[in-house]
Amino acid sequence: MEQEYTEDINFSDFIASSTHDMKNSLNIQIGFLEELMGECRNKIDAAMLDRLGHTIYEAGRMNVNLIQILSLYKLGKSIYPIDIAEQSVRDVLEEVVLQNQSIMGYKGIEVAVACAENCYWYFDRDLISGVLINALNNAYNYTTDKIRIVANINAGMLELRVEDNGRGYPPGLLQANVDDSKGISFSTGSTGLGFYFSSKVAGMHRNGDKQGRLTIENGGTYGGGCFVLNLP
Amino acid sequence: MATSLKQSSTLVIDDFQSMRAMLSSFLKAMGVAKIDNAATAKEALALLAAKKYDIVVCDYNLGQGQNGQQILEEAKYKNYIGYSTIWVMVTAEKTMDMFMGAAETRPDDYLLKPITEALLEARLSKLIEKKRSLQPIEDAVSAKDYIRAISLCDELLKTQSTSTQELQRIKSDQLMMIGDFPAALAYFESIQLIRSMPWAKTGLGKVYFMTREYAKAKAIFQEILEENKMYLEAADWLSRTLDALGELEQAQSVLTRAMTISPNAALRQKNLADLAYRNGAFDLAHTSYEKAIKLGEHSVHKSPSAYSGLARVLTAKNDPTEALRVLDRSRGEFKNDPDAALQTAVIEGMAYQKLGQREKARAALDLAEGLMAGQPGNVSTTVAMDMAAALFKIGDKDKACELLESVVKNNHENAGVIGMVGAVFDKAGLTEEGGELIKKSTAEVVGINNQGVVLANEGRFEEGIDLMRKALQVLPNNDLMIANLCGMLIGLMSRDGKDDHLLLEAREHLDRVRLLNPNNKKYNTYMNMLSKLASLPA
Repeated sequence: MEQEYTEDINFSDFIASSTHDMKNSLNIQIGFLEELMGECRNKIDAAMLDRLGHTIYEAGRMNVNLIQILSLYKLGKSIYPIDIAEQSVRDVLEEVVLQNQSIMGYKGIEVAVACAENCYWYFDRDLISGVLINALNNAYNYTTDKIRIVANINAGMLELRVEDNGRGYPPGLLQANVDDSKGISFSTGSTGLGFYFSSKVAGMHRNGDKQGRLTIENGGTYGGGCFVLNLP
Repeated sequence: MATSLKQSSTLVIDDFQSMRAMLSSFLKAMGVAKIDNAATAKEALALLAAKKYDIVVCDYNLGQGQNGQQILEEAKYKNYIGYSTIWVMVTAEKTMDMFMGAAETRPDDYLLKPITEALLEARLSKLIEKKRSLQPIEDAVSAKDYIRAISLCDELLKTQSTSTQELQRIKSDQLMMIGDFPAALAYFESIQLIRSMPWAKTGLGKVYFMTREYAKAKAIFQEILEENKMYLEAADWLSRTLDALGELEQAQSVLTRAMTISPNAALRQKNLADLAYRNGAFDLAHTSYEKAIKLGEHSVHKSPSAYSGLARVLTAKNDPTEALRVLDRSRGEFKNDPDAALQTAVIEGMAYQKLGQREKARAALDLAEGLMAGQPGNVSTTVAMDMAAALFKIGDKDKACELLESVVKNNHENAGVIGMVGAVFDKAGLTEEGGELIKKSTAEVVGINNQGVVLANEGRFEEGIDLMRKALQVLPNNDLMIANLCGMLIGLMSRDGKDDHLLLEAREHLDRVRLLNPNNKKYNTYMNMLSKLASLPA
């Protein structure tokens, strides 16, 4: 009956604890940088402001990655405090867009949200926000100038689509299953982490015998890349 | 309550100057004029005590001392803030205790760092809107008009303008509150049919626990934990259920596991200590009480019973000297707290007895006796049992019997307590005499109750009420008698018209009934009748 719960420290524990520490430092940095940007918005020239904006963007990307690594570690150990609760889908989508607004504005990308006001669904707010931020980050890299997030409920599933008007996903990526790690490449900088995290999170959402899933496709309203999350 | 963000008076709590400055500048940019800052828990609590805030933005991790959650708990406990205050916790990472604690001490929302101004503004505006839509329900709850709160929930659920889940949770809380267990069961089941949710499933288990269907409750709580071992509310309930089933060792190991997952829960740590003591696992009880004391240091859950528990186990482990030292500490920590003084005095009596210092033991128990007489409604059954056992040991049989008699009279329908009283008599070698006393005391209470019922049936409510009020001065914890008094107050008002004082008295009595015995059969009926009376025109 008595089980041993003292965990022996191993490599992944070290990675997790230092990731945590890095995330804290990074958050302080981001806070300072945003303060700085607010203070000098009207005092420095556009090129410098641009560079500052890009620095914040890169720091934000790092933060997203660190959060994903930490969440995956906790999910793997079943110690993530998962909280599947009813959410206003529109509020969550609007918040995600808000969080990326300055960056999108900086590159002149227009982001639209298509979601009914009374659309409520059940999911872990932080995990799904993380997935959507990751999708927006991808779309940011691939789009020409438009991104659209669409929410619909059909047949007992919530479908969230992040569509862009870029050239779409390369055929190799479309063929590969998103939850295997074919995307990892140290040379191109594509870590595959985002897709892996997103499909893990999708799969953690269950209702009865239905399970969440992640797919990618080309097409949609703009004919570009589409990141499609289905949640039961 | 603030009607808009701009008019809100706000408080920012963060230990980092740069974070405070940033959050304040965000609020300023939103047009908020009244912004206060606090760097420590102490500063924050002083401000909260002195001023009414509409919005509090609080960092969870404040370094040494109290964390954000503990400030929230203390502010709620001391009534510095009410339901209408919006409390937003800022945190680097999500932890379970932020949304797993008791509903009334959960923050309204939490924000993960890094925070942007736009995000903070969006959340705050949504929260103001939500508070406003739920305010009528909250008003009904604080007026203890739970029936009205339920019907308000039903109305809002029909409009679908607010979150369904929030309303479902409030409604189910009220159903549990009024003790309408069949309705609560049906409600939780209907929610579960659409989507299995840990909170609703836990609710189902709680209903089974309340209706004493422990085997069913156990299976449900175990299932929840298999699906999500982080859902520790289910662990607490599973442990209570196992305790009720007499499976003390399993109850203990469930809490032991829960403590490894969330090592900072003071209340759970103390429950574990109590269980371990009753289990005879004195070493575990010893370390658990010590941890509970340490964890409770900065919290409103700091309790004298953790100290007296530690002293009790030390006495049991043949270290009465150390026990006395712990009791000294307790006295220093809880000055002017009569309940603490009583617990301390009782265990002190036990410790001196163990040391063979009869006179000092005698003096401690005399002191305890005086303290008991001064707060008759406030003496817990555990303390009374401890005291009786100590009195038997010291040879004061008459006083022990007298005390146990009052325990029986206050709990004459509670089989569990009566069993415990019997056990104290058994230990003292007085099985037969104890049995007689239990029988006689029970008959006496039944007699008074019957007399009251006769008066009520004859419409002599005033006389009946008088009789019950007098009896309750001696038997303040008898839920059956309190419920009967309530029935007479309702009878009187049904005949002569409603009276606000009597309504309030009846509501207070009913609250006490629920506290003493959540299974009291009349509670729900009287609750409904009071609600109908209250809604009548004066």
